[in-house]
Amino acid sequence: MARRKHIAPGALLFKIFSMLFLICGVIMILFPFYIVIITAFKTQAESAANFFALPTSWTPDNFISVISKANYFMYFGNSALITVSSIILIFLLIPMCAYAIARNMNSRKYFKFVFYFLMLAIFVPFQVIMVPMVLYMGWWHLNNQIGLIIMHVVFASAQGVYLMTNYIRSVPPDLEESASIDGCTTWGSYWRVVLPLVKPMIATILVLNALWVWNDFQMPLLILNTSPNTWTLPLFQYNFKTQYSYDYNLAFASYLIAMVPVMIAYAFAQKYIVEGLTAGAVKT
Amino acid sequence: MSAKTAAVKPDTIRPPKKASTLHHSVHVHYLFTLPVLILYVTFFVVPMFMGIYYSFTNWSGLSLTYDFVGFDNYVKLFQDKDFMQALTFNLKYLVCLVVGVLAISLCLALLMNQKIPFRTGFRSIFFFPAVLAGVTVGLIWNELYLKVVPVFGQALGIEFLSKSMLGNPLTAFWAVLIVNLWQGCAQPTVLLIAGLQSVPKDVYEAATIDGANAWQRFKSITIPYLLPIISIIVITTAKGGLTIFDYIKALTDGGPNKATRAVGLLIYNDAMQGGKFSYAVAESMILFILVAIISVFTIKGNSGKEAGDA
Repeated sequence: MARRKHIAPGALLFKIFSMLFLICGVIMILFPFYIVIITAFKTQAESAANFFALPTSWTPDNFISVISKANYFMYFGNSALITVSSIILIFLLIPMCAYAIARNMNSRKYFKFVFYFLMLAIFVPFQVIMVPMVLYMGWWHLNNQIGLIIMHVVFASAQGVYLMTNYIRSVPPDLEESASIDGCTTWGSYWRVVLPLVKPMIATILVLNALWVWNDFQMPLLILNTSPNTWTLPLFQYNFKTQYSYDYNLAFASYLIAMVPVMIAYAFAQKYIVEGLTAGAVKT
Repeated sequence: MSAKTAAVKPDTIRPPKKASTLHHSVHVHYLFTLPVLILYVTFFVVPMFMGIYYSFTNWSGLSLTYDFVGFDNYVKLFQDKDFMQALTFNLKYLVCLVVGVLAISLCLALLMNQKIPFRTGFRSIFFFPAVLAGVTVGLIWNELYLKVVPVFGQALGIEFLSKSMLGNPLTAFWAVLIVNLWQGCAQPTVLLIAGLQSVPKDVYEAATIDGANAWQRFKSITIPYLLPIISIIVITTAKGGLTIFDYIKALTDGGPNKATRAVGLLIYNDAMQGGKFSYAVAESMILFILVAIISVFTIKGNSGKEAGDA
């Protein structure tokens, strides 16, 4: 970097043009957030007077009414419960399955079959499962939060197993072999030796699915239709909007408050989120 | 290691016999795959085959009996104006979405791959929409189209922007597409940046020495290197376009006048409204076939093409 190259005027011009273009893009991305934030802190009268101006007094009234009127924390709790439970199950089941496949798919047909059988899900659009699912979950009495968690784990498996299998195959099996010679059980050498080695990919898969589960709208809409008390945040937002559509200050406050957890997560774990979402471009 | 074995669950403890280690571990490995496999078969494969099976019947979803009707549902589908309109919407939407996402994210990735100030800052901001819920984004833009966009339209004197784009059957399509692009370019952009960084620098240098201009370098080096990533983006975006639901539900709910009623929404309405169960599954099978065709073609089109091929 210390070496300064002579920059041709054309290249410099192109860089300036690029910067301008990117800044326009940034404005396009950020402007909706600006509107959301200012409107959420304004009163209806203030917004009517000037929709684009900053609020004269930053009033928290809208947030207070969203929280008190709409029972925000209950939906937040539901979302958190479903996300955490799904993530724990994904963490327990998917790397284990991927590990078995990765270590045996070259020698045993069964494991190779399981791998490609799971991969089929990547080609099946959600709608194909959706219609029979609603009926089927009803038969099993699983049209509730437990059913939703199971479905999230199922929908995470194809992609999770795919990413994890490829990752484990790049880890040489020497360490596990020496662990088992030292008397570790198969489970023990998986849990103590393999899992710590594949932490980065586990982080990726968990972050990816946490976001997916937290943000999902269609599956809760279909499965949690029996009781509003079990709704997740996206469902709450959707229904809140239809209920309070006349009061957009309140609506914007509800959007902002629903985005806050993800914004905080993005601020602190951006690296993992970007990596996770790019590694997991293929989602069922 | 042996000291730690004591903490392992009692049922997995066994005497450390070296000779049987490998043999034993394979049995345990079969067990390792079972939970995922059982869940997958019970909650994915079975419903899928149920769907395929019922699409050949006339079952309403509620009645006690039903008959096999062969391909009747499928024949009806192609005579059904609503379904054909929805399918046309999806195909048109899919093409626009794929072209839009590729064009915008490729531009952004190329620009951000240069040595410019605030590169990481730009990346953080452009990626941010990807972490938001589609339905939140849809609801926010719904308000923006109502309150904000018309203000700009009037100020700039642009007729079609002066009223809510969502209220006009001609512009609602583009309104949904804009929202989808606003959020949908984030992930492809980061993927493409990663792809661009994997192109070896010396290949460019060699090409420059050989007298290749910027466009030739882009066409014969950059694009071939990016092809695998582009194919992933095409598949996922196409799938997203065919199965679009959240944005439509939050923005238009299929309106105005059925102009944005996508197949995904139609299936949802038919399935929830009751009495049209077998018909709704048949509709979903058409999506299945389309997604499969697109995936196979994109994968086939790219296999065999390696970086460096012209």
